Amino acid sequence: MRGGCGALPYPPRVGKGVALFRYIIRRLLALIPTLLGVTVVVFLLMRLIPGDPAVAMLGEHATEENVARIREQLGLNRPMFLDAEALRQGDLKRFVDSQYIRFLGRLLRGDLGDSIHYRRPITTDIAQRFPATVELALAAMLIAVAVGIPAGIASAARRNSLLDAVSMVGSLAGVSMPIFWLGLMEIMLFAVYLKWLPIGGRLDSALHLRTITGLYLVDSLLTGNLSAFWDVLKRLILPAAALATGPMAIIARMTRSSMLEVLQQDYVRTARAKGLAERTVLFRHALRNALLPVVTIVGLQTGTLLAGAVLTETIFAWPGIGSWIYSGIVGRDYPVVQGGTLLIALCFVLLNLIVDVSYAFLDPRIHYE
Amino acid sequence: MRGKRFLFVSLVMVALSSLLAACGPKPAEGPVKGGTFIFGRGGDSVQLDPAIVTDGESFRVTGQCLEPLYQYEPGTTKPIPALATECTPNANATEWTCKLRQNVKFHDGTPFNADAVIFNFERWRFTNHPYHFASQVFEYYEAMWGGFDDDSIITKVEKIDDYTIKFYLNAPLAPFLANLAMDMFAISSPEAIKKCGEKYGTPECGCVGTGPFIFKEWVPDDHITVVANDNYWGGRPYVDQIVWKVIKDDSARFLALKAGEIHALEQATAEDVAAAEKDPNLYIMARPALNTAYLAFNYKIKEFQDKRVREAVAHAINRKAIVENFYGKYGEVATNFLPPMVWGHNPDIQDWTYDPELSKKLLAEAGFPNGLSEVTIAEDLKDQEGNVVYHAGDKIPLRLYYMPVTRFYYPNPKGIAEAMAADLNKAGIRVTLELAGDWPTYLGLRRTGLLVGLYMLGWGGDNGDPDNFHGYFFGGLSSPDDVIQPRAREGWYANQEVAKLCYQALVNPNMAEREKMYKQIEQILHDDVARIWIAHNNTPLIFSKKVHGYQPQPVGADYYEWVYLTP
Repeated sequence: MRGGCGALPYPPRVGKGVALFRYIIRRLLALIPTLLGVTVVVFLLMRLIPGDPAVAMLGEHATEENVARIREQLGLNRPMFLDAEALRQGDLKRFVDSQYIRFLGRLLRGDLGDSIHYRRPITTDIAQRFPATVELALAAMLIAVAVGIPAGIASAARRNSLLDAVSMVGSLAGVSMPIFWLGLMEIMLFAVYLKWLPIGGRLDSALHLRTITGLYLVDSLLTGNLSAFWDVLKRLILPAAALATGPMAIIARMTRSSMLEVLQQDYVRTARAKGLAERTVLFRHALRNALLPVVTIVGLQTGTLLAGAVLTETIFAWPGIGSWIYSGIVGRDYPVVQGGTLLIALCFVLLNLIVDVSYAFLDPRIHYE
Repeated sequence: MRGKRFLFVSLVMVALSSLLAACGPKPAEGPVKGGTFIFGRGGDSVQLDPAIVTDGESFRVTGQCLEPLYQYEPGTTKPIPALATECTPNANATEWTCKLRQNVKFHDGTPFNADAVIFNFERWRFTNHPYHFASQVFEYYEAMWGGFDDDSIITKVEKIDDYTIKFYLNAPLAPFLANLAMDMFAISSPEAIKKCGEKYGTPECGCVGTGPFIFKEWVPDDHITVVANDNYWGGRPYVDQIVWKVIKDDSARFLALKAGEIHALEQATAEDVAAAEKDPNLYIMARPALNTAYLAFNYKIKEFQDKRVREAVAHAINRKAIVENFYGKYGEVATNFLPPMVWGHNPDIQDWTYDPELSKKLLAEAGFPNGLSEVTIAEDLKDQEGNVVYHAGDKIPLRLYYMPVTRFYYPNPKGIAEAMAADLNKAGIRVTLELAGDWPTYLGLRRTGLLVGLYMLGWGGDNGDPDNFHGYFFGGLSSPDDVIQPRAREGWYANQEVAKLCYQALVNPNMAEREKMYKQIEQILHDDVARIWIAHNNTPLIFSKKVHGYQPQPVGADYYEWVYLTP
């Protein structure tokens, strides 16, 4: 992964900026087949799971007639990909009139369809929920990076010390701790007993906030609504802290091992021999080189967090994309799962691209072609 | 009307509190005005147009903003006037004349009158109505009124004058008023529907009715807020606002109640209910049981076609122990399909005793002296696509399918299934516990009759009328002479005699005669061991002691207008 796809450790034939631009365009074009592949796989997988969306929608009361009608309305009576029977009859229109082609047709028009369960456009739900997920993911990643990287550096600098042991045991615990347990413990302590922080939700229902970006912290600042800002911040702390635990531990461990590797390099020994202060050696010479794998991990972890944190969202009543997709899977809400998965795939691909591009800034030796 | 009923309601509530283990605090002062009542719930509403949804979380909200022509008496299932002041039938109950409440306005300021009622009924009924959108499912209209367009039992709703309408039916319909009182037949503002079109009931548009609360905002998966209607015809509610807050995790929801972030909740775990009972700041009320958990037989299994085998299963299960262990004081052993609170419940039925030895004897008589662990498919069983999944004569292990989700009638499906399996094993009926998949899979297999064995399910009543229990599962005839095979809604069970009685009771306006028929149906079902009724559950709701005046309803939306908060 280091260096990214297409990253070359030798000088480019064209200017660095142009090469980078071409590289980004190429990667963006590669998005199209990737996302198409995702739609095919998700389409297939969802329909391989037993259970009928019409039955899921109608529940225990479902009658044969209603199930049949809903299936027809949703187009579920059409073949999944292509209608072979129609081809045999020479009916080309019916041949391509399949669930997947209908979905693609709508997708090209920017329409992800309507939720079967909530009967709302998928784009509306994504527009409401995705910013909530982004806000939570970024807050969690901020905590994870702010704690994880210094902990990793300190552990590496004081290898085999008490600090190292505490930091690594802590990170092991962070990776192993079930998030639902941690979340409930946080709520018990900080919300029920100490009453310092609220239990969940994004904003007190008594407060009102004009949304601009959908990121409530940003919106409250942009609109100068400080009471909302304070409320949003308080509500963000517990879920972000719970969600940060896993990535924080991974980042700390990765930073430590990467730093240890770099600290054994000749140039670090030389820097120390030249009498540079340990702080300068660590932060100016070692850290920048040690950060490459950490950046990769941060990128991947951010992608995972953006994919939605089902448990955190469920426990902290956070109306994000994870619990929404999970409900979609359980309720066989095909459009929700398709739209949500497509969005997540897009996030992952874009984040990977950002990570790859960031290498060029961290390591001047890396060039793109 | 609602305001005038306050004294009556208070008396009913006092009586109910002793019956239902309700122990709400009694403040020294009278009702306090103001404040926001926050109710925690496990899921969001689907839509706020009650005509096109079936989920309780939607009705929980629409029931505060919209009102039907009739509603249910607080704490019971008896229909009483709401937006209609009275509805009277003609001699053969095929025409109902309803007087409408006057000087009532929808929240958008438009008048409530005969035109508004007719608009709503025509929208629900006619598939070509401009506001009966193809993307919407008016499932309850079809289910309760016989179908759409010409299939509808209501053939016409006529305006006699601005405040009088007449319903014409193509046959008598005994549960007419009980149907009218259902949440899904609440009257929306025609202007609001015209303005919003297909978006009526969505978070963008909300709903517009005549109820005690006015829709304010809906943040999906977060909260819905309604505010008190100052001009409510029944008097302004005590609280200023109600907020329904979505907290999906049961434990987190209970912790939110303990932390004071919400005032009440439903769907608590057994552990949280036990903790609430000991918490001095909380109290519990029980929703009167209008539900029945049961164990169904798949009648396409040859062995289950023998009544002695079914009886053996019935005698093998210790239902009393199951209720004690899994429902606690909120459950009651079911002896009928109809819960005791529904008229038509037959208290004279001699319940199956728990008797494993008798089970063994019955099995031996049926030709299984060594017990039963394997069963035979009686005829080919096909899936939705028409593929044969089981062939006639196939031998399969005897399975007990348990539900993958908790429902109000089965608070712990897996635990209860394990208890049943242990009981059955003692009687020589060795079942394999089977998780068929998730909830849609389970329901899908049930619908196609592919839960091949014993399986758990239940029913929650919609309107308190016995036909809503019996008619749905065992009815299906459209005339007394109809020879068409009655509906086999559950496990392929159909009984012509029961179907005929269901039809006769449905069209008979004489309540005493109907009651007799439903009791007879219960007796037939019991004698036939059609299914094994397990329990009725009075589901607990937990409240902060700051909350007063809440009225849990067995059916229909709870009444919130009498809720008030003390500091």
